[in-house]
Amino acid sequence: MTTTHTPHAGDDHAEDDDVVALLMRQHGDIRNLFDEVEASTGEERRDAFRRLVRLLAVHETAEEEVVHPFARRAFDGGEQVVADRLAEEKAAKETLSALDEMDTDDPKFLERLMRLRTDVQEHARAEERYEFTHIRRSTDAANLAAMARAIKAAEAMAPTRPHPGVESGAKNMALGPVAALMDRTKDAARRAMGKG
Amino acid sequence: MTFNPLEQRGIPLDRQLRNWRELNVEPIDPDRCDPYTRCRIITMNGIEVEAILFSHQLARHCPDPEIKRQLARTRYIEAQQQKVVNWLLPGVSSVLETTIAYEQVAVDLTAWVARMEPDPYLKQAYQFGVLEDFDHLYRYANLYEMIEHRKAESIVDNLTEVMPGRPTRYHHRDPVDNVRDPYDKDTTNPLSKLHALTIMSAEQQTMNFYMNTGPTYMEPIARQLYQEIGLIEEEHVTHYESLVDPGETWWEQLVNHEYNECYLYHSFMEQESDPRVKAIWELHLNMELEHLHTACDLMRRHDGRDPASVLAPELPNVLTFEPNKQYLRELLDTQMDLTTLGAGYVREAHERFEAMQAGIHGGEAPPSDRVMHEHDEMFGREYRVQTEGEHPDPAQREK
Repeated sequence: MTTTHTPHAGDDHAEDDDVVALLMRQHGDIRNLFDEVEASTGEERRDAFRRLVRLLAVHETAEEEVVHPFARRAFDGGEQVVADRLAEEKAAKETLSALDEMDTDDPKFLERLMRLRTDVQEHARAEERYEFTHIRRSTDAANLAAMARAIKAAEAMAPTRPHPGVESGAKNMALGPVAALMDRTKDAARRAMGKG
Repeated sequence: MTFNPLEQRGIPLDRQLRNWRELNVEPIDPDRCDPYTRCRIITMNGIEVEAILFSHQLARHCPDPEIKRQLARTRYIEAQQQKVVNWLLPGVSSVLETTIAYEQVAVDLTAWVARMEPDPYLKQAYQFGVLEDFDHLYRYANLYEMIEHRKAESIVDNLTEVMPGRPTRYHHRDPVDNVRDPYDKDTTNPLSKLHALTIMSAEQQTMNFYMNTGPTYMEPIARQLYQEIGLIEEEHVTHYESLVDPGETWWEQLVNHEYNECYLYHSFMEQESDPRVKAIWELHLNMELEHLHTACDLMRRHDGRDPASVLAPELPNVLTFEPNKQYLRELLDTQMDLTTLGAGYVREAHERFEAMQAGIHGGEAPPSDRVMHEHDEMFGREYRVQTEGEHPDPAQREK
């Protein structure tokens, strides 16, 4: 049986002219990485988990900088919808940083990872249903495209995976700590949104 | 094991009402469940929905207020059963994920029924239909990867292959060619009646699901694909419902419905891997036994006939969800190019078929073709799950 690989959002040939479609595909990329971590062991799991941590950090930061501020002012009740999402993100980040300090071979690792997977998935669906739907109907195609560009620009400044040919754990680590990654994403997003 | 529902007693009807706490079931984990547990849930939801709608139709034709009240009592319990069963599905699943699970049901349920069906004409009807559901699964799986970057194998878990069936564009037939000939209620095998009712109910639920959830999508290609496949579900309901003998009285039909529910809850209880869900199948079986007895009383009173005369002497072999890969591959190899003409099947594209095709496609590629084109533009390939090797039809192999 041939196994096909689904490229990350941004690496496929989608036009990426709609921030909501882009983020929804990224939600799938995150779920795929959870599966990859779960299915692997040893060095492979360590490597997959590093990529998951980075993608989650960059994705959530980019959302916080680009779509949440827009949603907050774009529709009635947006303030509360975003507050709910931020509370979920905060809880997920806490679990994530606890996991980040753990050895991926620790017997408790998988159990916690599964809990995080559930939380992240519920958060992603809540965004799609209660926030993204309103974003799409509150703005026009040009702004959806502008926000998609901002997300991509931010993520380009904070690579979540090594370049092709250097897929090793060591190179991954060389990308720097997660906090620095989030800062870089934030700066790039602000520049892209013209607030830098 | 022999099990004759006519000889068993269940929970008395006046003790079947459940409170909010009992109705509030914990949903399954969509990513870690047995895919066939989800298939059984979707099937039983379709069965309960048909039970409710049938009972409403019967009540609307029923002048006696006392019988109306009796139907209402049983129907309310069936509505609770439907709530419990369908609420096992998790809120975290997207419509498209549930759709892919619906198509897995259509493929593996219909294939199993086709394998077990004793009547050759009815068997052909299931063999014909399953190759279309099989193609729908493939189209939706490609849409799923485009929208959510996820693979359908995370849902069907390699139990069901995902590759082209009879191409969806050819499913659009002149409506008169969707009407089949019915079985004969007096001579047919009782199992055939259960099969027809089961597949009709499952397809009807799929039709209802697509007609209501299709427009919740914003992506134009998704909206259009649901429209197209939704119209084919209309054809499938026509196809399967016409297999049922219309000469069955209302009371006989009611008995068949209740008997079928006993059969399916019993079957699923026997094979369920999730103990929590198994307990629900068992509870519902015990409820259905009483619904069946009530229906049998109505048939005796109003038709003056013994229900045992129209039912099997014992429950048939359990209806089973299991992989049907080799069987489907045989059908792909031999029945891809069939269409219907009148109540039969032919290989040539006859005039009425061509006229319908020209009318509905309007000279353009249908959504089911465009979804593949758009998927290819995005990924430079298609999405398939071929666990048993290349497609049996060389023309359908990936280029």
